[in-house]
Amino acid sequence: MSVKVEVIEGGIPHNKIMIAGLVGTLVCLYLTYLNVLTNTEVFAFFGGLAVVTALIWGSHTIKVLCSYGIGTGVPSAGMIAFGSGVMAMLLATKPIFGMAAPIVALVLAAIIGFILGYISNNILNMKIPAMVRALTEMAAVGALSLMGFAALITGGFTFAGLTTGTVNMLGMTVSSNQISFIGGGLIAVAFLLGAIAIQHPFNACLGPGWKQDRMLMLTAECGFLSMIVAAIMSFALISAGSAIISLIVAIVGWAYTYNQYICLSKRDAAAWLDAKPIPDMEGH
Amino acid sequence: MVQIVFGIGITALAGALATIAGSAEDTESNIGSQGDPNSQVQLAPQMGFIHRIFNKAVAGEPPAYGLWCALGAGLAWAFMAMQMNPVLAIVLGCVLAALVQGVYATTAYLGRTASLAKFGQPVYVDILKSMTSVTMAHAFIAIFAVVTLCHLINGALGHPFPLPLLGLIWGIALGAAGSATGNPYYGKERQYQNQKFGAGVPISASGNIVRYAEAGERNSLDNGFFTHKIGGSASGVCFGLIVFLEIWRTILFENVSAGWGAIVVGILLILIFTVVDRYIEVWARRNYGPYTEAKVVS
Amino acid sequence: MSAVAAKPQAGGAMNPTAMVVGVIMLLIILALCWYVSPGLGLMALIGIIIGGVLIGFGTHFVPVGGAPAAMGQAPGIATGVAMLAAGAGLAGLFGGAWAAGQGWVIATITGGVGGGLMMAITCMMVNFIYVFGMGIPSASGKVAKDPITGDTQAEFKSQGTEGHGLPFVSFVGGVTGGFLGGAGGTLIYLQLLSLYETKLPTLMGVPAAQVMPIAVAAAGIFAVGLFLVNAVLTAYNITGTIEGPHDPKFKRWPRAIVASAVASALCGFVAILIVAI
Repeated sequence: MSVKVEVIEGGIPHNKIMIAGLVGTLVCLYLTYLNVLTNTEVFAFFGGLAVVTALIWGSHTIKVLCSYGIGTGVPSAGMIAFGSGVMAMLLATKPIFGMAAPIVALVLAAIIGFILGYISNNILNMKIPAMVRALTEMAAVGALSLMGFAALITGGFTFAGLTTGTVNMLGMTVSSNQISFIGGGLIAVAFLLGAIAIQHPFNACLGPGWKQDRMLMLTAECGFLSMIVAAIMSFALISAGSAIISLIVAIVGWAYTYNQYICLSKRDAAAWLDAKPIPDMEGH
Repeated sequence: MVQIVFGIGITALAGALATIAGSAEDTESNIGSQGDPNSQVQLAPQMGFIHRIFNKAVAGEPPAYGLWCALGAGLAWAFMAMQMNPVLAIVLGCVLAALVQGVYATTAYLGRTASLAKFGQPVYVDILKSMTSVTMAHAFIAIFAVVTLCHLINGALGHPFPLPLLGLIWGIALGAAGSATGNPYYGKERQYQNQKFGAGVPISASGNIVRYAEAGERNSLDNGFFTHKIGGSASGVCFGLIVFLEIWRTILFENVSAGWGAIVVGILLILIFTVVDRYIEVWARRNYGPYTEAKVVS
Repeated sequence: MSAVAAKPQAGGAMNPTAMVVGVIMLLIILALCWYVSPGLGLMALIGIIIGGVLIGFGTHFVPVGGAPAAMGQAPGIATGVAMLAAGAGLAGLFGGAWAAGQGWVIATITGGVGGGLMMAITCMMVNFIYVFGMGIPSASGKVAKDPITGDTQAEFKSQGTEGHGLPFVSFVGGVTGGFLGGAGGTLIYLQLLSLYETKLPTLMGVPAAQVMPIAVAAAGIFAVGLFLVNAVLTAYNITGTIEGPHDPKFKRWPRAIVASAVASALCGFVAILIVAI
């Protein structure tokens, strides 16, 4: 009576996607560190690219997990990923970790995800083969995506950068805690942007005709779409020039991936009709 | 005294906005076919019933609306931090959030329908073109109402949470209330309109949704106009009551007995709704009667 | 939206070894917290654990029917259990955060009442729609008689379905679940808020009044995150749908208590480390 999910094989193996996503995300996050070295904010857009690579990794993990039939919906997986990742990400930005923040976030979130996976599989008796590994990966993806959003919107991934900003009062720029990534609550927007974007590709391509390249193209499209709105929000916190660069990169990326996704859907659909009636099927 | 009158005025405005938001949210999720009733739209082609309904599988309503409202609020917050006028900031923020919602809706329809190719369900491009703009319009109304009421709560009533966090909270609450109230009406009453009235859908009829409408072939706009009359209005009243009563009992009674006044009033309200619910349940049992003879339970 | 299990269902069995391992993990985390930050940090962690357990336990009461409920084939509310519980609990958190200045007892109870009120209104409107919009009375599929009112259920169940609507015991379950969830979420928020309010000014070198937005927003988003983690773990425990406290699946609650305690302790410890090291 509900959607029957079959374990689909084929396409690029999950391990390759995981390694590519992991390396890609970390490289992009460290490229935002160029901001600190050059004392500008123009490299903030690498944070958005980190989000896209992390989401590609994460959505394939969700596909691996949910193909076994977890009994609840797909969106819960995204929620638990980001719910556990947000705390790991914020702890990793503390000054004592310095430049190692992305690696610390990865390790910390993986530990949290591993324990959550153990709890689900053994204490809650779900007994799904891929559960522990999938939850470990998803918590890591959650933490890294949030760090990518933070880097995109504020230009860096330090605790000070996330909690302070400047506000223009009577012509003078004053430091303020309220106009910041955390103080202004933008972390809540990043949380939900990521949580919906990570589960949407598998949820939307669910069905017997699931194809890996179509799902991954949709993930990239969701990532770039989130990057567009995050770049618009970053206008409040970083210089206009850097924000415009992020916005242009995001719009170009989104336009390309959205167009490709429509072409792939056209390739896979049974028919591509415009204003035609329901076809006659035998007996119905 | 002026303080309380001002607070009550804002509360009434927030309640009215919440009612609009609830109604628009439920109608939008019925036009797009989102949430649990959508499982039937997904199932129908697998049982051989090809249809022209928009299959919008974007998570469920609570997380989806949590995102659109938090996004609208976040964008509005960013525009306001850039010294833009609050009204303009909220409008622009909600327009952008509605655009994101529209993109998600199109990708969901294309993805789900392309994955059903094995059963012969075609992608209807005209459905994509006509439904998307209608869902975006309804979503904009809902998002705008929620972001405005969050701004009122944060700015005029002094709630400590920042605007985007309030948007997240009320977005998820809106989705939960609207989906709880409106989903059964859309799922049972409209999707299975050809089943017997006054009874649940038997399991044997799963997937056999109505595909041929009053005149021509049914599409989601027909579903929207039908469910709006009762489902949409009930969802609106539900969410409006939630927001209004929650803020009302705080504004009026939070300083009575150092906070216990609001708690007592809240418990009284819960008891009132329990009595009303029990009355509805007993009324149904008495007036509709049982389906079969009552068996003696030994 | 739910996927049919492609593997044998694990069922409601308890796993004693895993429960013991869970309790040991809980004690280890408590010990680590005592070592890193005795006093304020340990108090906050205990409060977070209690809050998480309240959320996990409370979510078992909420009647959720899933996709069949949307067609009048099963009793309960036609939404996902994690998000419905989150909606009620967050509405409670909203009220509780507003009352934060009045002490943690009043704020927690206010949060609970807020969550319970939202569930009461929602459950009443669900029954309203079923009765006056669709002409369907409420009936449970799991019990012959409603445990609270004694109404017989079998003859009010339409043919070919498992029941529909919200029998009175499910309504009471929903309100209880909303109350516990709202109280739990508010408790987590208050603990983190008082910890951050005390420690952040020295950590960041800014006056307390200026750092309030950071403390409030960080505590708020962590409360939301912990809420979602606990609600999703409960959803895994009951495998998606439950009719309310009278459902046999309700007996699985001990597993959820241990699971919520360990998960909340772990995430809470990380949240405390942000200001403790």
